[in-house]
Amino acid sequence: MEYLIPDGLSAEALEGELRAHLSCRAESAGDSEIGYYDTFDWALYAAGGFLSQSSETLRWTSRKDASAYAQPLEAQPGLARDLPSGPVRDQLPPEAAIRRLLPMMRIQTTARLLRVLDENEKTVVRVLVSSHSFEDPTSGRSGDLAARLRVQGVRGYDDDRELLVALVESKLGLVKAETPLLCEALRRVGRVPGDYSSKLDLKLEGAQRADAVTKQILATLLETLEANIQGTIAGWDTEFLHDLRVATRRTRSALSQIKPVFPEEILARFKEEFAWVQQATGQVRDLDVYLLAFDDYQASLPAELRPKLEPLREFLLAHYDQEQARLAQALQSERFRVLLGAWRDFLQTPVPSTSIVPGAMQPIKAVADVRIRRMAKRVRREGRAIRDDSHPEELHELRKSCKKLRYLMEFFRSLYPGGAIKPLIKQLKVLLDQLGDYQDLAVQAHHLEDVAERMHAEGRAAPATLLAMGALVGGLLQRQQAARDGFSEVFAAFDDPQQWAQYKALFWTSEVHQTGT
Amino acid sequence: MRILATYNIKGGVGKTAAAVNLAYLAARRGERTLLWDLDPQAAATYYFRVEPKVVGGGQRLLKGGKKGSALDDVIKGTDFPGLDLVPADFSFRNLDLMLEEAKGSTKQLRKLLRPLEDDYDVVFLDCPPSISLVSESAFRASDALLVPVIPTTLSARTLEQLLDFLASQERLATLKVLPFFSMVDRRKRLHLESMAELPIRWPQFLRTSIPYASDVERMGVHRMPLPAYAPLSPAAVAYQSLWGEVRASLPK
Repeated sequence: MEYLIPDGLSAEALEGELRAHLSCRAESAGDSEIGYYDTFDWALYAAGGFLSQSSETLRWTSRKDASAYAQPLEAQPGLARDLPSGPVRDQLPPEAAIRRLLPMMRIQTTARLLRVLDENEKTVVRVLVSSHSFEDPTSGRSGDLAARLRVQGVRGYDDDRELLVALVESKLGLVKAETPLLCEALRRVGRVPGDYSSKLDLKLEGAQRADAVTKQILATLLETLEANIQGTIAGWDTEFLHDLRVATRRTRSALSQIKPVFPEEILARFKEEFAWVQQATGQVRDLDVYLLAFDDYQASLPAELRPKLEPLREFLLAHYDQEQARLAQALQSERFRVLLGAWRDFLQTPVPSTSIVPGAMQPIKAVADVRIRRMAKRVRREGRAIRDDSHPEELHELRKSCKKLRYLMEFFRSLYPGGAIKPLIKQLKVLLDQLGDYQDLAVQAHHLEDVAERMHAEGRAAPATLLAMGALVGGLLQRQQAARDGFSEVFAAFDDPQQWAQYKALFWTSEVHQTGT
Repeated sequence: MRILATYNIKGGVGKTAAAVNLAYLAARRGERTLLWDLDPQAAATYYFRVEPKVVGGGQRLLKGGKKGSALDDVIKGTDFPGLDLVPADFSFRNLDLMLEEAKGSTKQLRKLLRPLEDDYDVVFLDCPPSISLVSESAFRASDALLVPVIPTTLSARTLEQLLDFLASQERLATLKVLPFFSMVDRRKRLHLESMAELPIRWPQFLRTSIPYASDVERMGVHRMPLPAYAPLSPAAVAYQSLWGEVRASLPK
């Protein structure tokens, strides 16, 4: 049980009050400095715990019942998956594995322990009086937090604990501390745990003007993009770049798909510049994908070929720094700065009271209906046209349309009954995954062929390595074929009449507006 | 959960001091430790400043209330984190008679401890001297027996009696017995001679010996384990080394 000590009451005065009523012995409980860690997207907090480190011990504390696990760790934590195995590591959620454990807050504590004694001078309750200060590693801000009093019962001495609690609550009038120290410190710097998520969670009003709502959507995406710049440049982990690229792709999709709500001449420049961002960040992402999949690559080969693949990893790593430096340069360039500045200006400028752009002043729900309808019909049309001997390009086109449809449904999700749109998005993801496997595996296979040629030319691949890479390419192409073979079945689930009735029920409710192509 | 009993047929050999100090050292290493004071003299209970009183006495403990909750209700936290105590009670002097009445008398202690399996890493049973149903029940519950032996002829005789008794009991024949020299006075020739001879006869003797020291006797004045008030005293260092040896000789 923990209580907040009000501002006016000093720790000494409080101790005096307790001594007036109880036989106590005081001792210093020492100073401590605790660093709190979480992933950028608060995966650990979401999984129900706090990760902290103090004096070379890493701790996991459950948010629910304060149960704790500890394991030794001398260095600062790095990537979650690189933590040595142990009881704390076991608590971390699997989705955190590839993320870096970032310092979120440092809290310094000075504490005194008051031991309440019985007539045998036996400790029957412990009272910890602690004062705290915080330091935010992100903003550099620091300050003091309210002092706290914690009552720690001793097993078998419940009556004594209850007596003390009554004294603390009734006589001293202290109130329970409801927030953990970490949250209290975060609040002081204007943050809350979970304040970043890459998931789109927009709350839109269907009756609002389309241009205003579209700006709201784009501004949210810009926030996500900007939040990930620092981590991408520093290369903290691969997810910063991934989230930055997803935000960019969603932005581009919104610009081309939510229309017509802005004058085309304004958009043209932004479309071009965001395309550049996507392109400038592509190389490192490709390398990330290979390196993240590398262990699986190796595992897919017969045991004797696995070590032969190591030179490929070395080759990829050797190029990584160079590509990462290029990426960092692009994100620190004048061009990028100007783009974000102009884009923010555009999004922050209030929409004009009247607009000649046909869709601008329509309610967003009407625009959303039309756009989703059209894209759904297009996906169905393109999918139905696919035959066993269709050109891979046609599947690629279908994948692009699917992605646009998915993004549209995700942007406008809050305009539709949650229970109804969720399964549609989920089903679309299945189709997208199938198409994604088909294409990504082919791209990976062909890219590996290129890499093999380069390694060979640079004299960095022995024949055994090239043969192992050949086996890998073969395996990838086999999986790609399996994805191709599975397509018709997955598409049939999308093109199911019942499924389609769901689309009709959701998106064919408003009158068809002539809102562009 | 590993259960260790400190025991000797003879009293006054440093049995309780061993239980109290080793339990303290175990807890300080981070092991969740319980010490059960089975001796009606209640010396261990006294050292921890706990009232020698178990509500309902031994009778209620053995009868139990809800399944497994009997010990739970009488455990007391000590002044040392991670170290709990089941205090002695004067009624424990009749524990033998109570066990006699209970069904499966020698299985009773094990049965009482089983529900605490997940709560403690180590349990010490500080047994009363003499062979009785209480000690038999403690033997059956234990993974190992820690036997303090004063290096004299008489003490060697009681160790022999104990080993003979255990050998005669089918269920106890495999119990691990860890004797160690206690209250050693290196100025006494008899002590030195015994310490040279006895381990030849009984190779299971631990190498660490606990010196006779007034520091140990003062546990009753300080009313706390020796390493808590004199951590660097030779006897405290010896207990530390003894605990290391005991740990190493237990199965993982």
